[in-house]
Order: sequence, then structure tokens, then C-alpha cells
Amino acid sequence: MRVTAAGAGVVALVAWPWVASRYFVFLASLVLVNGIVAVGLNLLSGYTHQLSFGHAGFFAIGAYTAALLTLHAAVLPVPVTLLAAGALTAVVGLAFGVPCLRLGGLYLTMATLAFGIVVSETLLNLDWLTRGADGLRVPAARLGAVTLSGDTARYYLVLAVAAAMVAAAANIVRTRTGRAFLAIRESEVAAQASGVPVAAYRTTAFGLSAFYTGVAGGLFAFVVGFLSPDAFDLFLSVDFVVMIILGGLGSVPGSLAGAAVVTLLHDGLAAFQNYRPLVFGGVLVACMLFMPGGIASALRLRASH
Amino acid sequence: MRVFLASLVAVLAVVAAQPALAEQGVSDTEIVLGCSNSFSGPLAFTGEQATRYGVDLYLKVVNDGGGIHGRKVRTVYYDDGYKPQEAVANTRKLVEQDKIFAVIAPQGTAPVAATLDYLEENRVPLLFPFQGSPITRGKKYVFSGMTLYDRQARMMVDYLAGTRKFRTFATLYQDDEYGKAFLTAFEKEFARHGSKMVAAEAVKRGATDVSAQIAKLQAARPQATFLVLTPGPGAQALKEREKIGWTDTVMVSAGPLTDERYLGLAGDAAEGVEGLSLWPDPLVSDLPGVRTYRDAMQKYFSKNEPNRYSLSGYFAAMLFTEAARRAGKTLTRDGFATALESVKSFESGILPPVSIGPDHETQKQGFWVRVEKGRFKPLTDWLKSE
Amino acid sequence: MTTAAVVQVVVSGLATGSVYGLMALSLVIIYNATRTLNFAQGEMLMVSTFVAWSVYHAGLPLLVSAVAAVLAAAVLAFLCERLIVRRTLAATHWDVLIITLGLSLMLRAGAGLVWSHDEFPFPSFFRDRPLAIAGVRLAPVSLGIIGASLVLMLVLYALFAWTRLGRAMRAVAQNQRAARLMGISVERVNSMAWVLGAVVGAVAGVLVAPVIFLSTTMGLIVVNGFTAAVLGGFGSMPGAVLGGMVLGLLENLAPLYLPSGIRYSVPFLVLIAILLIRPAGLLGRVERRKV
Repeated sequence: MRVTAAGAGVVALVAWPWVASRYFVFLASLVLVNGIVAVGLNLLSGYTHQLSFGHAGFFAIGAYTAALLTLHAAVLPVPVTLLAAGALTAVVGLAFGVPCLRLGGLYLTMATLAFGIVVSETLLNLDWLTRGADGLRVPAARLGAVTLSGDTARYYLVLAVAAAMVAAAANIVRTRTGRAFLAIRESEVAAQASGVPVAAYRTTAFGLSAFYTGVAGGLFAFVVGFLSPDAFDLFLSVDFVVMIILGGLGSVPGSLAGAAVVTLLHDGLAAFQNYRPLVFGGVLVACMLFMPGGIASALRLRASH
Repeated sequence: MRVFLASLVAVLAVVAAQPALAEQGVSDTEIVLGCSNSFSGPLAFTGEQATRYGVDLYLKVVNDGGGIHGRKVRTVYYDDGYKPQEAVANTRKLVEQDKIFAVIAPQGTAPVAATLDYLEENRVPLLFPFQGSPITRGKKYVFSGMTLYDRQARMMVDYLAGTRKFRTFATLYQDDEYGKAFLTAFEKEFARHGSKMVAAEAVKRGATDVSAQIAKLQAARPQATFLVLTPGPGAQALKEREKIGWTDTVMVSAGPLTDERYLGLAGDAAEGVEGLSLWPDPLVSDLPGVRTYRDAMQKYFSKNEPNRYSLSGYFAAMLFTEAARRAGKTLTRDGFATALESVKSFESGILPPVSIGPDHETQKQGFWVRVEKGRFKPLTDWLKSE
Repeated sequence: MTTAAVVQVVVSGLATGSVYGLMALSLVIIYNATRTLNFAQGEMLMVSTFVAWSVYHAGLPLLVSAVAAVLAAAVLAFLCERLIVRRTLAATHWDVLIITLGLSLMLRAGAGLVWSHDEFPFPSFFRDRPLAIAGVRLAPVSLGIIGASLVLMLVLYALFAWTRLGRAMRAVAQNQRAARLMGISVERVNSMAWVLGAVVGAVAGVLVAPVIFLSTTMGLIVVNGFTAAVLGGFGSMPGAVLGGMVLGLLENLAPLYLPSGIRYSVPFLVLIAILLIRPAGLLGRVERRKV
């Protein structure tokens, strides 16, 4: 039963550009990109309990890195560009994260909030590189001789990368790192007492999360085609948090579901701009009050009946 | 499983049900227009006024009168909060999902500039944007709405340096294409008059505090200080200069800023301020077109006070309607563009007669104003920008 | 830079700093009692100030409008704490952070629907024309903000030092369990902390709105308040005041000597710097994490 559902899902994902209009292919790409961010953020917040309000900063670093590399070093194939985007984001993330991780809890969260805004401001001020407030046009991604122009080509790129990264995240649980994450989630004290080097694993989670978000940022740059620093603001970071809370902390399929709902809601409410924060805020509050485990736990409950 | 398949089918049904149209945005019963504009952020007021109380105001009158060749005009707007990236995403949605015929009256130099490439690739007309950067020149489907910044700069400098003999100037400008376009244009005009820019300070888009910039500008002692800003920081500049007692300069607002709106925010600090106005006083002017505009506003939105922003949107819709009528019953984008280019000496009753040529510029004029008792009073007739 | 210009900037900085100090105090009052951060503090301030604006535009005097703001804040805080936050009393500070994050979004959208996202001038208790004292021009608004803030801080000090409620709040802040054992209703103290925090916030809002214009984005001042609180030593009330003043001065002096565009980044850079260098802040003690 589940295999058929999974199979139908895969077919739908692959066949999507053949049945859907241009705009819906674009939307699907966005859903997948946000899905990668959500999975990455979930690695940090869902497993090691470090809430981040600054992931828009990582997203921005990845996006601008990919855009600038494609602009100035067009010869690089897109997988290298994306890897570079992810790597640079991870490096920046760790440079910032390592000293801040020992703060823990509330301080870390507010530090990430400050980080996100500082990144956006820095990108704005580096206007000789990023064109600052006027924004940057992102050239099409190149894969060897092929230029990935058009929504369909970009969709398949996003799909391929998303599939790889989500599969990796789902499998992390099976590795030693994953088991350590789960142990930390259950009880940090017990994990520490059992010999798990908590600090080291928290750092790893932070770096991995930054890497995922950076790669997603790079994909985002190609999908959207235009970047400006003011779009990577606190409200975007909050959107990412809503995705994982709604999806359910600690669940990879939950994060994907949360990303899908938030992205589609965001687009669907475009005509009702003024109600958007109301809906998203309401979703957060309702989730925390009535459905703390998010979609993931709600579905698990239903399946067991 | 069933839920999953059902939702999949539903989504496919929605996606597949896209009606085919002769020209995008034109059906037998309606024409669809739209834009990405500011409904939040630094330009929330001006955006709301230009669209809902400007374009829509005129279109209400048109639709009530039967429409254009029997078609009603419908508008779709999305909020970009003055952010270029959002403007691009919104414009995409308008073109690909809402299937608009043309973009009308979007706002903001940086956001509009960001959408230019996309609109050109997809051959979507960009009509009368509320911005004046010269980068919109020379594009087949783009028709400017506001007097372009280089023309505005020429009028401002010709008047102050030429007629009033000012020698030293400073500029407080927004740190993006809007401010920089003016800055470049000013420098060029100063060279022609032998005047100097003694100081220039940048203000980040969206910033609210300008105290440091005003302090630095005061130290340079300019005779006139140009304000190339949005209403919020513009008002802050006036308040700040009053606070520090900087009286020996004339504050001059650039075209987009010159409206009672930012004066209202500045309160008492607004006395004696001057500027280049692109529109006649919407509340007081006796011109026939402006009176009709006021009557329409009274009829449909009686609580809304007339202002230059809604007047500019109203005018944009008026120009659109005129061109669409000339283009005839078969409305195509190419036909529409040709019809617009053919507009000669069009009497709007608001601005001097409009003649649009191959340069696609619909407005080329402005006049000088000074604040007296909270309202801008004209000091000159329409100035020339050639 | 002339001395007069620098003095003007310092006074402006102290004025903004006073508002940040009040903001920080409101956060710290709630945190000390409940051990949670109210992320919606800024939005509550914004809504209260809008209420004052509406009351003022209905024709009532400014003082009455300010009182209306305070009352609105008290009611709003009471309802939020009672109906929403309390239901997660058993949960971690995380959950409250997320819930108040959600609340802040809802309040901002709600305010936008009621009053629009436009920016509005707000009337001031103090005159606009600058005073000239010893050759330096000082804005009455700045002096007024500093003065009013100091008065409020003194009132708060008196409240905490000499009233029963104040003592109960200090007891709960020190040790919740012991306080409960002594017969203090922790739930009531939590409610009161929220109300008190919101009231302080409302006063800050009414004081600062004339300077920065009233709009739905005013709520972001909560981050400045948090930075000020951390700078002074999170949890310490004198620290909150000191942190606010220092932050206000830094924010106003930095763009004068550095590129003007740095102003917006200052609170965030200061926050990161203080968290990295000395998380205990200027007046705080280094807390050992209890296992």
C-alpha cells in the first residue's frame, strides 16, 4: 500500500512539468527548495533543540554565492556551484555558530536572529559585489554545454538535488551521527553522561543545517532569477520556523509537508497580503496549543487507528 | 491513500483548466491589468493611493460607462513592499497565472527595474510606472509614466542655479537606483552651470533615521539641499533639520516626493520647503480634468483625500483607456503600443497636452512650488526639460 | 563635528536609549517572573500606541489617550497570558517563544487590518521647537523622553522594593518553588508580570512614536530592547536601564563617525559582540547552567 503511494508520488513528481502550467512548475520548484531548507533546519532544531531565527541569512549566502559564481565564473558546472554555495554557507555558519553554541537556549536563538539580519545588511552594503539594494539578476545555470533555462529544466535540477539531500537526511538517523542526535534530543544530560560529545554533535548539526540551507539558497537563486537583500529578512526566517513547527520537529516527511503547506499558502494568499501574517501566526499558535507534534504526529496518530 | 490520490486529481484539474485566449488578458468581456506595488513598507501609502484610489477610481468610471469597446477592465495587485525580488516574483505571477494584458502603474525605481528583463522577454507592456529612472528608455513595450529623472534634474538645476543663482548644493538621497539616478543627473547639470555639489549623503531604503546624515550635510553649508527620498525619511529630514536649527539652506524635494503627504508627517517643520511638482494641486486646482477627478473621488471614495499619487494613477488609467479605445475592438499588445505612440496633443484637463512619440515618454514637465501654510503653492508655470 | 553637534547627538542617543531601557525592562520583568521571553512585546507596544492614536483622533486629550494605551496594553497582556501562554505553562521556554512569535505576527497583521500599514504622525507631549541652553540646541522631545522614562523607572523601583506585589515578584524570580511554598500564587505573579511589562511598553511606545512615526513595523523595537537587556546583564533591572542608554548612545554616535548606513546594523552587531565576548553583560553575573 505504502509502496504504491510512494510510487505514485514519484511518478507525479517526475511527470509534473508535462501536466502543469509554467507557473505551477515554478511553484513546485519553490516547494522543493523550501523543503530542503526545512529538512536542514529540522536537523538543527528538531534533533538538537537549537531554534534558529536566522536561517534566512544562510539562505541568502547560498543564493548570492551561486549567483555570483555563475556570473563571474560561468565555466563552473552547476553541481560545483551548488556545492560551493553550501560549503561557504557551512563555513560561515560554523564560524558564527561555534562560539555561539555554548550559549545555548534563548541566547543562541536571539544570536541567530541577529546573525540573519547582519548577513542581509552586509550583502546590502557590499554593493560593489552584490549590486546592493538594486538587486542582482541571476544568469541561467550551466551544466557543461547545456544552459538550464526555462522552468522545466530548473525544476528537474531542483528535484534531483532535493531527492539526494532529503534521502541523505532521512538516512542520517541510521548512522552514528543520527543516533547521537536522537540521544541528544531525548535528553542532553543523559547523552552527555553516556559519553556522547554533545558539543561536537551540536556543532555538526549546525554546520549541516547551514550546508543544506546554503545549497537550497543556490537553487532558489536559479529558480527565482533575481535577488535583493531586503527579501532575506526576519519574516523569511520565521516562515522557515513555521514550516518545521507545522510539519513536526524531528520528522523529515513532516518538514517536507510543512514546507509544501507554507509555500502554497504563501502563494495562495498573495491576493490577501494583509491576512498572511495573521494566518501564519495563527498556524504557529494553533500548532503549539493543539498539535505540538505538527503534521507528522497528527498523521501518525491517524495511521495507527 | 485515497486522500492522496483525490488531492492529486484535484490539483491536476485546477492546473489543466486554463482557458485559451486570443491575446493574453483580453477576452470578450474583460481586459485584465495589474501590477506589483507597495501596500506595506516605506511606500505603502503612495502605492495604495496610486492603485486602489487612482487607477481603480478612473476604471470605475469607465466600467460604469460600459467599458472599452464593451469590455470591462479588471485589475489585480500584489504587494512587494518596495522589494525588487518580491516585485519580480509578483510580476511573474501576474503574467503567468493571472494572465494580465499589461502591467500598469507599478511603483519604485528598483522594483520596476528588476522586472524589466522579464517583461521584455515575455513581451508584456509596462505602462506608466511610478518611477523615472532613464533605464526604461528605448524598450518597445515600455511607456514611461513619470517625467524621467534626468529631465527632472535638469528642470531643478536650471531653475535654482539659472534663475535663482544658487551655487552650492547638497543631496540627501536614497541608496539605490532611485537616488543614484538623480545624483548622476545632478552632477551632469551642475557642470553646465558651474555649480557644485558640496556634500551628498546616502540613506538606506527603508531606513527611518537621518540624523547623522543631516548633521554631516549641515557641516558642508549648502545653499540648497535636494531630498531624493520616500515620504518617511523625507519628513524625518525636515524634522531633524528643525531640531538642530539648520536654517540657512533651502530644502528641495524631488518630483516623486513633492506632495502634501510628507509635509503632513513633518508637521511644523515643513514651512518654507520647496520642490518640483509633477502634478497640479489635486485639492485646489481649477483645471477641468482635476475637478472631474475630485468629483469621482467624492462619489466613490468620499473619505479619501485627493493627492498627487492617486491623481497619477487616475491619469495612467486615463491614458490607457484612450489608447485602448484607439486600438479598436481587436485589442493586441502590438496594436495597443502603436495606438499609444499615435497619441498627439491629448487633452486630459490635468497636464499640458500629451504627445507620445517614439521615445515613449508620456510626461516631460514639472513646475516649482513652495510650502505656504501646509500646502504647496506654485511659483512658476510648467518648466521645460529639453 | 562641533561640540554642540556632538552634544545634540548624545542627548538624542540618551532619549532613544531611555526608550530601549524601558523596552528592556518590560522584557526582563516578564522573564524574571516566568523565565520566558515575550517575543510579542514590541507588537503589544505598537497596538497600544495605535489605540492611543485612535482615542486622540476621536477628539480626546493626549493624556487620556496615553492612559487608554496603558489600559489597552494591560488588557491585551492579561488576555494573551491567560488564554494562550498559560495553556503551555508546563512546557519549555521554547514553546512560549514560538507562541509569542505567532502572536507577534497576528498582532501585526491585525493592526494592519484595523489601521493600515501606513505611517502616521503621533502627537507629542513636548514642544517641537528646540531650546537653546548654553549655546547648544536641545530638543524638548528628547529631554521629555529621558525625564518621563526616569520617572517611570523610579516608580518601578518603588514598586519592587516596597509593595507586596513587588516582593512577591522578586521572590518568584529568585526561586519559584520556594515562593509557591511560601503561599505566593505563581500564576498570579506571572499574570501581573505580563501586565506590568506591557504597561511599561505602552509608555515607551507613546513616548517614542512622535519621533519615529507610528506604524505597524514599530514592533521590531523588541530586538533593540533585548539587546539592551543582554548588554546590561539579562535579568538585571538596573542592567536593562544601563544597557538601553549605552545602546542608544552607540546607535546615534556610530553613524556620525562611521558610514551613515551602519546605524541599522548596530543593535545586531552589539548583540552578537556581547554574546561572544561577555554573555553576562555589563552588570550581570555569569550564570552556571544547572544540569
